[in-house]
Amino acid sequence: MGAEIITVSADTKYVHLAWQREERNLAGVKFPMGSDPAGKLARMFGVYDADKGMALRGTFIISPEGTLLNAEINYFNMGRNIDELMRKLKANLHLSKHTVEACPAKWTNEGDRTLTPSAKLVGKVHEALG
Amino acid sequence: MTEACECLGCNVGTAVPDFKLDTFEPLKGDFGEISFAGLKKKNIWTILFFYPADFTFV
Repeated sequence: MGAEIITVSADTKYVHLAWQREERNLAGVKFPMGSDPAGKLARMFGVYDADKGMALRGTFIISPEGTLLNAEINYFNMGRNIDELMRKLKANLHLSKHTVEACPAKWTNEGDRTLTPSAKLVGKVHEALG
Repeated sequence: MTEACECLGCNVGTAVPDFKLDTFEPLKGDFGEISFAGLKKKNIWTILFFYPADFTFV
């Protein structure tokens, strides 16, 4: 889909290597595993828990131009929904090509209805989404 | 929970400052380095996926 996923934790690259080789669930991992031992990047994105020295479950989508477009942060005890991440990525790709449109909450795939804000649409979102 | 939250440094809708990370790259089976400036040159979307720690239950 033309996106680079980078996972980031406070572990060193050596521990990343050991974990990826040991844990059979990670055998198919293809993305680079980033090391942020001092929590510098986690602080930059507001996901660093200084008491625990660990990053919260934060997910950030950045455009090719370098603009942060989506942020989702979960506490340690809740996993993320990959379908929702893919939905956001697909919506971003669509919106980058159709800059006057907006993707409504239920937009999930290319071809789903979008909204194009205009005077006519005010108060008529229900009708527009059919 | 922590007493005070770190403020969100990067706001949605704003430019992400440059950063660098040491990496382990499973595809190559080797260590590497990623710079955000380098990613921007590739003209692709970037997803940063933070998690607490290796050898836990992501």
